Amino acid sequence: MMVFRAFRSEWVKLRRRTLLAGTYVALVVIAAFFTVLVFARAGHPARGDRDRFVSLAELAQPDGLVLGLSRGAVLLGIVAFGIAAAQMAGEFTLGTIRQLLVRQPRRSTLIVGKHFAVLTFLAGALVLAMVSAGVSATAMANVRHISTSAWTSSAGLADLARTFANISLATAGYATLGILVGLVLRSAVLSVMVGLVYLLIFENVLSSIVSGAGRWLPGQLLNTVASGGDNTTHFSTAVATIVIYLGIGAAAGLAMFARSDVTA
Amino acid sequence: MCGLIGPNGAGKTTTLRMLLGLVRPTSGSGTVLGHALTAPAAYLSSVGALIESPSCYPTLSGRANLQVLARLGGIDDSKISTVLEHVGLTERAADLYRTYSLGMKQRLGIAAALLPGPMLLVLDEPGNGLDPAGIVEIRVLMRSLSDLGITILVSSHLLAEVEQVCDHIIMISSGRLVFQGNVTDLLASQGAELFARPEYAHDLGALRALVESTGRVARIADDTLVVTADLGWAGELNRLAAASSITLVHLSERRPTLEEAFFSLTGEKPNGESIAVTNRALS
Repeated sequence: MMVFRAFRSEWVKLRRRTLLAGTYVALVVIAAFFTVLVFARAGHPARGDRDRFVSLAELAQPDGLVLGLSRGAVLLGIVAFGIAAAQMAGEFTLGTIRQLLVRQPRRSTLIVGKHFAVLTFLAGALVLAMVSAGVSATAMANVRHISTSAWTSSAGLADLARTFANISLATAGYATLGILVGLVLRSAVLSVMVGLVYLLIFENVLSSIVSGAGRWLPGQLLNTVASGGDNTTHFSTAVATIVIYLGIGAAAGLAMFARSDVTA
Repeated sequence: MCGLIGPNGAGKTTTLRMLLGLVRPTSGSGTVLGHALTAPAAYLSSVGALIESPSCYPTLSGRANLQVLARLGGIDDSKISTVLEHVGLTERAADLYRTYSLGMKQRLGIAAALLPGPMLLVLDEPGNGLDPAGIVEIRVLMRSLSDLGITILVSSHLLAEVEQVCDHIIMISSGRLVFQGNVTDLLASQGAELFARPEYAHDLGALRALVESTGRVARIADDTLVVTADLGWAGELNRLAAASSITLVHLSERRPTLEEAFFSLTGEKPNGESIAVTNRALS
């Protein structure tokens, strides 16, 4: 009940026009952009990009509808991370955490309610992104003369559901990571910057230098989850590892927050 | 209405944060509304608070800001209109918080504190940054809330302001309790100054000698004798002067201000009784 109160309270902030429309439009554009890009480049692999090459025949497969969205999953995750981190750390930056804790002194309850609210906010954004990817894919299939009959087959719908579930899971992971980073750093700008540098630069550099590092780095694992598993890490292994990471992180973060003084 | 007073850095805000469960006491104990300080969830539903400057979401309206807190506290949305009306913000409730003046922000902060229908209202420096008109506005608002039966604990380093609105004070300095009790008792205990002007200036010396013969301290300032004495000693002074054939053309008394009492107390008792709840930030 109290978690639901925190959830409803958080939604008053999340439904701000600038945040709601800004995020939803951004994710719709990202999904459309990656879909159009995949379809436009299909059959024309760029130099050095052969591992990401998609043929026209592949796009006609049952999972062709969501290939573009899968390619943009990392960016969707980064957006989710940024929003979650900013929502959490912003309470400290603005000093609103004081008022919130006076009305809800059970700190874990407050964080859990906020977390659920951010997840539902992002779920709505993902649904719109999925629709955007579908519309873009259909339009591009028409332009590239790709058959779409397999997309609506039972296998195609299953792929659609699976891709949505994987991306949702990865996005939830990114959002949880964002909440934790925001809770620890307590500064919206710093949280987003640190997160972006770590996820986009540090992890990529490290995994390219250290063989197999991608199996242990949280950002890389979340990307593996979004893509449904890859050659190095099985989907279920990636999910289990990231759940352990986030579980430990959440327990430590909540324990630290419960014991810390709020002087913001 | 109780004033928590002390100079900047005395520990007022830290003390209030401890009462609100925001800062953990490192030692000591205390109760708020009959509940232990260590279990803030047990009493905070009956407490409203404004800690330092009001903190709200700049891109939300005043009403939406209150909605955030009302929903979190399980408070009916209908209460929002009531508190907005109480602080005189109904007309501007739909405007974004960032467009509010400082006084309006402060009033919205008080509205937020009033949402739970509190038995105890904790206000930390509510007059901070306000112009004189804004300070009067907040003072009037606090009085109206006190009239509703709400206990108000207000912290301030503006002693004259506290003196005007509070009937009870807690005085701290460097994290230590210096005085706790009624303002009138405190001021009465500090003595007063009597101003006596004889008809003829050449009587000033004789009048001073009369006063000093009673063991009291007196000094001459221009054509007036200034006597440090308890309130009410003016009558005795008048009789003494008359008995010595000195006619007083002016006799008045002045109570010490809270500020004077504060400096007197902190100067004389720097190692006052420790307050029950201490914190590492204060020690």
